[in-house]
Amino acid sequence: MKKAIKNTTLADRALFLILLIISAAGFFYSGEALSLGSEVVVEVKGRPVYTLSLDVDMELEVEGSHGHGVVEIKKHKVRMKDAQCDNHICVRQGWISRGAIVCLPNDIVVIVEPGRKTDIDAITG
Amino acid sequence: MKYLSALFILLLLITSLSCGDRKRSVYRKTMPLMDTIVSISVVSGSKDEAERGMDKAFAAIDRFGTLINFFSEKSELSEINRNAGTRETRVSPETIDVIEMAVITAEKSGGAFDPSIGPVVKLWDFLKRKKPGGEEIRRVLPLIDFRNIVIDRQNSTVFLKNKGMLLDLGGIAKGYAADLAADTLIKSGIRDGLVSIAGDIRTFGVKPDNSPWTIGIKNPRQTGEKDEIIARIRLSGKAISTAGDYERFFIDDNRRYHHLLDPETGYPAGLCRSVSVIAGKAALTDAVSTAVFILGPEKGLKLAQDMGMDAIIIDSSGTIHSTPGIKDILSIEKGN
Repeated sequence: MKKAIKNTTLADRALFLILLIISAAGFFYSGEALSLGSEVVVEVKGRPVYTLSLDVDMELEVEGSHGHGVVEIKKHKVRMKDAQCDNHICVRQGWISRGAIVCLPNDIVVIVEPGRKTDIDAITG
Repeated sequence: MKYLSALFILLLLITSLSCGDRKRSVYRKTMPLMDTIVSISVVSGSKDEAERGMDKAFAAIDRFGTLINFFSEKSELSEINRNAGTRETRVSPETIDVIEMAVITAEKSGGAFDPSIGPVVKLWDFLKRKKPGGEEIRRVLPLIDFRNIVIDRQNSTVFLKNKGMLLDLGGIAKGYAADLAADTLIKSGIRDGLVSIAGDIRTFGVKPDNSPWTIGIKNPRQTGEKDEIIARIRLSGKAISTAGDYERFFIDDNRRYHHLLDPETGYPAGLCRSVSVIAGKAALTDAVSTAVFILGPEKGLKLAQDMGMDAIIIDSSGTIHSTPGIKDILSIEKGN
């Protein structure tokens, strides 16, 4: 082993070091990537139209089947701020950080997909 | 140089391992069906296979939801209700099946779960905070009796003996739909997955890392984000349903009025905050969780065990009771 190392050039050693750093970083980076925060998926008629981060505050107008809805993300929570529907059940639901908001008349669904940090696959209750 | 080559290969291996298993992944899709959110997760090596399976499962739920929709005049359930006291209604095998399971649960629970509770359910409106008067409730209570539901499997008919009777399958239909979806997925070649319809969850197989599915049980008195989950349970090939007094409710004069009505009194049952039941089929866990909620911790735990099921009960004081069969797969969250 010692002989083999002695026979290496500076470039070999540099390459080895770079590879070592890359592979070690792979472990840490993939761990970090898997622990990203939650995503907000906005679907219209069952098709995803927007995928947003729950960590970025924003307001978004979404065109539904019969009217539009206003989705607001603030402080890691999301709500249907306003909607052109009769019952406004979606608006009354308020802020959520998990689960989903449905505006049935407009076929708009706002789903908070859990961040991969959580080990929970579904919630009962 | 040989050593370096070996090291190089080793590093490549490590790097590829650190990227994880790309072959089998969890695919997830959510749709609004049966007036709620339906979420399906499947484990598959191919996105196309996963999508095909999930689409078939959603279609099965949609079809079943149309058959038993209490609010749609075109549903088979509405036809059964319209024909109450007059004639039998010919229905689909799924409708017969779910009504039969509901009646069996009603029998086993001594009527604590009763699918003929419709007339009293109709008097309450939890969204509009509408509380019916005592006389109104007393008038409809005689209509509630599962023994007056006549099922004829041979002719595929259902008959409600008395005029004014109303079947309400709200306490079993979502669980049944979760089973239907899981069976559809299995038939289309998916071996591992999870179907979640509101609080009714049916699991089969395991996750890509061979671990069971982890289900969080909602805290019935959640105060913030951190205490949303009161317990977690690891399931594979099992179903779980939760009945809670926090789903549809209003508070009036310091009393909580919620949707879990006692068929005997017509008023909300008050012995529990939430009940989760674990068994093989979600239709049964759905119906039995309501029955256990109505019966309360003592009689409820006995019912679950007599039916070969497990249960987690949070009683009206917040104390957690559970059957011994789940002690190894249940973890209660710290601080609860």
